[in-house]
Amino acid sequence: MSRWSLFFIVLLLGLGLGLLYGWVINPVSYQDTTLDTLRIDYKTDYTLMVAEVYHQSNDLDWAMNRLTLLKNKTPLHTIEESLKFAAQVEYILPDMFLLRDLHNALKENN
Amino acid sequence: MDQNRGNWYLITGLILGLILGLVYSWVISPVSQVDTHPNLLRTDYKDIYRSLISRAYQANNNLPRAEARLDLIGDDEPALALAAQAQRFLAEGGDHEMAVILANLSAALQSSEAAENTPVPPTGTAAASDSDENPTAAEEDTEENGGNNLDSTSTMEPVSSQTPPPTESPPFILQDSSPICDPTLSESLIQVIATNSAGDGIPGVAIQISLGSDPKEVFYTGLKPELGLGYADFSAEPGLSYQVEIPDSGLIVSDIEVPTCQNESEESYWGSWEIYITHPN
Repeated sequence: MSRWSLFFIVLLLGLGLGLLYGWVINPVSYQDTTLDTLRIDYKTDYTLMVAEVYHQSNDLDWAMNRLTLLKNKTPLHTIEESLKFAAQVEYILPDMFLLRDLHNALKENN
Repeated sequence: MDQNRGNWYLITGLILGLILGLVYSWVISPVSQVDTHPNLLRTDYKDIYRSLISRAYQANNNLPRAEARLDLIGDDEPALALAAQAQRFLAEGGDHEMAVILANLSAALQSSEAAENTPVPPTGTAAASDSDENPTAAEEDTEENGGNNLDSTSTMEPVSSQTPPPTESPPFILQDSSPICDPTLSESLIQVIATNSAGDGIPGVAIQISLGSDPKEVFYTGLKPELGLGYADFSAEPGLSYQVEIPDSGLIVSDIEVPTCQNESEESYWGSWEIYITHPN
């Protein structure tokens, strides 16, 4: 085997080890993240908080503004995702109703 | 000699590969930031999160749920973090309503902590004992830093809160209003301390301060919980005469001026003014 072939084999081996270390063993750890990167359960709880406030204030503009921070396609899309997850993990009915109310309000507004 | 040269270029290849791999995995294409935890949020997003938790608490009055949500942010002292945010909010010219909402949750947390530290006879309701025995899933989640069980938080049954609803300027009476000389204060302050008949501080009391015909400024008790839940202060300037009013109580304290004081070395310095108000009930 020529020297160049050996060199490239070892180079690829090093590349593989580097990727393994950088992606699996010691990946970049993020600190200053944004709301749109939150895991779906946290996003759903965030949406529930917006729904709780909306239920009291009826301020749809404020609710849409808060939901926009999750950077989905639309606030309606955000609440639909949240409703789906909330149903999956069996949120209690009062919370489901709050999410449903906000969903209906956003749908009517569309 | 030739053999040594061969070994070196293999090691060079390995190191070069490692460097390329690390650059690619750490810089060019790092692990994407999805499915993160609230405690990793940037400071301004944490502020938004805290504000939302406070608003939700105002809406549902469910303190255990608010506590569980605050735990996710990972503040060492959630009550202090809320109070500090309320102060920052006011200092940056934010609306007073939001500052009061933040302060109310901060005060509720402090009251709850105080109540937990006070021995009480076992007369709690089933709901209350449930909440004591079963720490919220979100609290566990915070400890695990990433467990997938916030859904349980969201399905918590609302339990009655030990916290009274936000105070809205009850009819206070004036207990004392006098100049004070405190050399430890770094600036001249008008300090207001609002208490109930039991002597406990009352947070969220609105205080209007005016200077002649200038527009009134409003500040609130409870924004500095480290100094007491019923404490509020306003930075005063020497030589001016202020008027303090507690809206809806008809309580007005006039002619408040920064006094001149003397320390032990007989050097003059500007003092402060203290106002004690109390709720008669």
